[in-house]
Amino acid sequence: MEPTPLLALVRNGDELAWEAFVRRFQGRVFGLAYHYTAQAEDAQDLAQEVFIRIYQNLALVPDEDGCLPWILRITRNACIDHLRRRKARPPLWDLSADELFDLRSPEQGPEEAHLEVVRRTMVHRALQELTDLNREIILLKEIQGLGLEEIAAILEVPVGTVKSRSSRARLELAQKLAAAGMGG
Amino acid sequence: MDERSLDPEALTQAILARTSGAPCRRARALACDFVDGGLDGAQADLLRGHLAHCAACSALVRALAESGRLLPTLAEADPGPWFTQRVLRSTSRRSAGHGPDVRAAWRKLLHRPRIALETAYLGAVAGMMGLYAPVPWHSLVPPAQVWTVPLQASAQRAAGAVVRVEQYTAASLRRTFLPLREASPAGLWQRAVAKVRGWLKRLEAALKPANP
Ligand SMILES: [Zn+2]
Repeated sequence: MEPTPLLALVRNGDELAWEAFVRRFQGRVFGLAYHYTAQAEDAQDLAQEVFIRIYQNLALVPDEDGCLPWILRITRNACIDHLRRRKARPPLWDLSADELFDLRSPEQGPEEAHLEVVRRTMVHRALQELTDLNREIILLKEIQGLGLEEIAAILEVPVGTVKSRSSRARLELAQKLAAAGMGG
Repeated sequence: MDERSLDPEALTQAILARTSGAPCRRARALACDFVDGGLDGAQADLLRGHLAHCAACSALVRALAESGRLLPTLAEADPGPWFTQRVLRSTSRRSAGHGPDVRAAWRKLLHRPRIALETAYLGAVAGMMGLYAPVPWHSLVPPAQVWTVPLQASAQRAAGAVVRVEQYTAASLRRTFLPLREASPAGLWQRAVAKVRGWLKRLEAALKPANP
């Protein structure tokens, strides 16, 4: 379903359309929030907050291609606000078993799925060790697939900065992963 | 001639060390384009030549390629089976703002770090009351004060400690149960608190020595 007619239905107050909209974007919103916060429970609360905010501001949601970047932008802003509030208490980076389960692909066999979970967990942990800007560029560009200009607008930095930082961020991440044994 | 100079790799490293230095920095600058397939053939061949002899750069390029494969798979994560319902409930016009989210409150309660301590405390209070409260010691036990006096003193100290812990945890429990209290019938909480306080007062009175 294209976002434009779906959004139009949501704006008209169609509850089924709103449910479809939530189901369509919840994985992205929760995924991004999870990599920012590193805590499943916080990410769930934030993702819920984001959808409430969207619901209260349906008139502001852009149509078509602008929809996902807009949603990711408010998700990112909600995460940054949350991390600022959380600064007082130390983050818990360790993942519990059910948090790992969140990252599992359903289509793999048990052994391959387990290895894949281990690899994804390594990436998730390595991401937490990057500098803030590098981590955000990886989250928005490599993970969420946003364009350089969209990222520059979200992070409020020049496009050139995103471009030049992108390779450095990937290298920094790869160095952490190589040090942790990936690629060895 | 020493043994080192017979090893061609050692010789290469020795020459590089005395001329350009190790080319790893240059190799790393090209690594992203190499993994993305953006290098021209000649440059890619030069880099491959370096990777064949440099374990560190080789591991880095493999990690870069592996992370490039994994990163897009992290775009979405499953927020759990109840997430959609939670959102729909929060955004439904019928139920918006109608009372607290009891499930979320309960989940928060269970995740609190003091929950184990509080459960243990409640268990201990229940145990103490089971042991001491309903039993009028002086009427059941013959006046063998040689052993009942130290026992009473000890029990009194324990009861004092329980009362002090009760005062401390009552505040904590009030905080813990606040969201649930709001969701429960009015007055139930206050009645339960008054009852426990009454029990503890009777316990203290029962354990007070006859001649202070
Ligand atoms: Zn090298």
